[in-house]
Amino acid sequence: MSALPILVIGGGSAGMEAARGIADIGYKVVLVEKHSSLGGMPVQANYAALTPNFQDAGEAMAGMAARIADNEFVDVRTDSMVINATGSVGNFEVTVKNGAGEEKLSVGAAIIATGFQHFDPGRETQQYGYYEYDDVLTLVDLEKMLKAGEVLTPSTGEPPKRLCFIQCVGSRDRQIGNEYCSKVCCGVAAKESIEVRKLVPDCKVFIFYIDMRMYGYWESEIYWPSQEKYNVNYVKGIATQVIRKGSRLLVRGEDTTMGRPMEVEMDMVILSVGMEPSEGTKDMAATFGIKLNKYKFIETTEGCLNTVTTSVDGVFACGASTGPADIEDSISSASAAAMKAIAAVRKAEMAAG
Amino acid sequence: MIPHSALFNKPEDREFVADPAKAPTVDYHDAIFELEKEGEWEVQRVPEPWVEEKNKFGRVKKIPVEKTWHHKSCGQCGHIPGYSTSVFWLNRKLGFDYNDPTDQTSCTAWNYYASATSNAAAQAAVAMRNFSAAAETGYFPIIHCATSFGHYKETRAQLIHHPELRRQVRDILAKLGKKFVMPEEIVHYSEWVYAIRDRISEHQVIDMSHLVATVHPACHYHKLIGEDAVYSDEIYGAQRSAIITGMLQALGIDVRDYSTWHDCCGFGFRHILVSRDFSRSFAVQRKIEVMKEEADPDVLITHDTGCLTTLDQSQFAARAHDKNVGLPVMSDSQFAALALGAHPYKVLQLHWHSTDSKPLLEKLGIDHEKAWSEFESAVERLKKGEKQFLTWEDCE
Repeated sequence: MSALPILVIGGGSAGMEAARGIADIGYKVVLVEKHSSLGGMPVQANYAALTPNFQDAGEAMAGMAARIADNEFVDVRTDSMVINATGSVGNFEVTVKNGAGEEKLSVGAAIIATGFQHFDPGRETQQYGYYEYDDVLTLVDLEKMLKAGEVLTPSTGEPPKRLCFIQCVGSRDRQIGNEYCSKVCCGVAAKESIEVRKLVPDCKVFIFYIDMRMYGYWESEIYWPSQEKYNVNYVKGIATQVIRKGSRLLVRGEDTTMGRPMEVEMDMVILSVGMEPSEGTKDMAATFGIKLNKYKFIETTEGCLNTVTTSVDGVFACGASTGPADIEDSISSASAAAMKAIAAVRKAEMAAG
Repeated sequence: MIPHSALFNKPEDREFVADPAKAPTVDYHDAIFELEKEGEWEVQRVPEPWVEEKNKFGRVKKIPVEKTWHHKSCGQCGHIPGYSTSVFWLNRKLGFDYNDPTDQTSCTAWNYYASATSNAAAQAAVAMRNFSAAAETGYFPIIHCATSFGHYKETRAQLIHHPELRRQVRDILAKLGKKFVMPEEIVHYSEWVYAIRDRISEHQVIDMSHLVATVHPACHYHKLIGEDAVYSDEIYGAQRSAIITGMLQALGIDVRDYSTWHDCCGFGFRHILVSRDFSRSFAVQRKIEVMKEEADPDVLITHDTGCLTTLDQSQFAARAHDKNVGLPVMSDSQFAALALGAHPYKVLQLHWHSTDSKPLLEKLGIDHEKAWSEFESAVERLKKGEKQFLTWEDCE
């Protein structure tokens, strides 16, 4: 077995799964995470439950962390960042910085699992009023409320009577350059709509959508139940503007099924914000000299036939660092990255004799 | 008492700060200077003194104070001449050096946005011909019309990204004997009014602190290449363009919001040409009546030719239908000039407007009857052949 460990950057679901996979095969891993705890975005952003099975997000991530925390093959370094990388497959030298200083490490390969960040509706799509009205929230903000077990209208402290989701905020938008679908927002909105209905049974819940993209089993697990069991109203149309009307919000847009403009009052509006590459993803791409795609996610080399190999030999990427991904995608690509990283190290070792 | 759990969205958590590092687009400044390095064109620098403002993504936009070359608007000169006259009056009042050229070419953007356009090279050639004419004088172009402004920004983007278009336009300019020059910034005149708002307020002679105003932002100002519009953290939390609003606030005016702020004025280009009733109805029902009902303003201030004419002239027919209209409409340049003591008829030329400004002038303590009498006397001199047209001396 290799004397050099494999570096995993990012301690979210993808990074933890990659580390676990490498360790299970018997290779050493150094996992570098810039935050003080593992768990990635579900922990950092206080997600309540995972889509689609409503598993407690904190417990799920804690479970993944526990599987690597006491593993003798995994060296977890929190509050740490990779700030430099040199060398090539089989022998990279990376500099890891933390509160104690800088340390140079030799690693055989690297896996980048630095994930995404949520789209900020203040940069574009300001007409939804996220920064103007307290009662306009994002999916992420609502997750925090759901985690606290209480959905309350911020401006009044009262449970909402009418709440809506606006889909595709920051996604599928050529005007702002994010032409891609963020994949998870439809499922998350459907999941959150069910949670809202459970917590506030008197609240009417609406989802304004362009298309609902319910991949695989999400269709039967959350899409139909949200309508048939929880009476969530799906309205096909584009909401164009949110404004204040008295003590409520007025959502304006077009109901494309009815073929007419619509104006509906809401107590709370939830913006289904999409994914953008995280700063960590862009930083690591620069550090390792990896090619990015036009959206600044890490570009993989062979399209759908190879979802983890980057433009630099011996450096792999997984999870949402390569593009919008749900946790299922992230876990799958993490395992693929682990396998290819080990293979790359093995090949380098064999070539070196 | 709002439960603590409802307040997790604390104001500090919801404060938006535009970060140029997070801008999704390439900085056009970098692109135009890179092309200059490659010998593709010359870049005309913003002359000093300039004011540093921030655009939508927090990037610096330099706004020239002086040495400006005024790219005028067909609609302003034809329908609301006091609009551009006020821009020049402000320059003179504040002692700024400027250039009012006589060899400007019309931008053709109206046809472009009304779907009756020629081709990309022809339009870009017009833009670059005007930029070149400005550079020849040593003055920096400043665009009076929001449509020209928006169109030129789109043209700049096309020229940056399409080498073949640059080649075609460069060849056309060579035949005209013109240099291929791109200005460092494409500046709308209202950005200049906004940038010098403190100087304007220093010279204010009319108290306006008891006035309420509403603002209509021109779509072609802040929706076309919207990243290049000017924003401020102090105004709508950098979520809406700061133009006009910032200047009015500097004059001490209560600027009130209304629910159709983002909506078009009704002009709509194709609509005003082929479906004018729609434009009129939209202007009245979606803009004027909403403002009157929600904000009860004394005046509506805007910053574009089409917006001003549509919002002003659409109120005329609506009066016959007992609509809640009768709101004076002016440009920011006219209103700033009024605050500094400009003549309401010789400079602002409010008699070209459809709406009645007299109640507003009375509220400001301006004797409009005396002002009109002065204007009529001046016109009498023209009738007698003493002069061909009024000059700045008549406006003192």
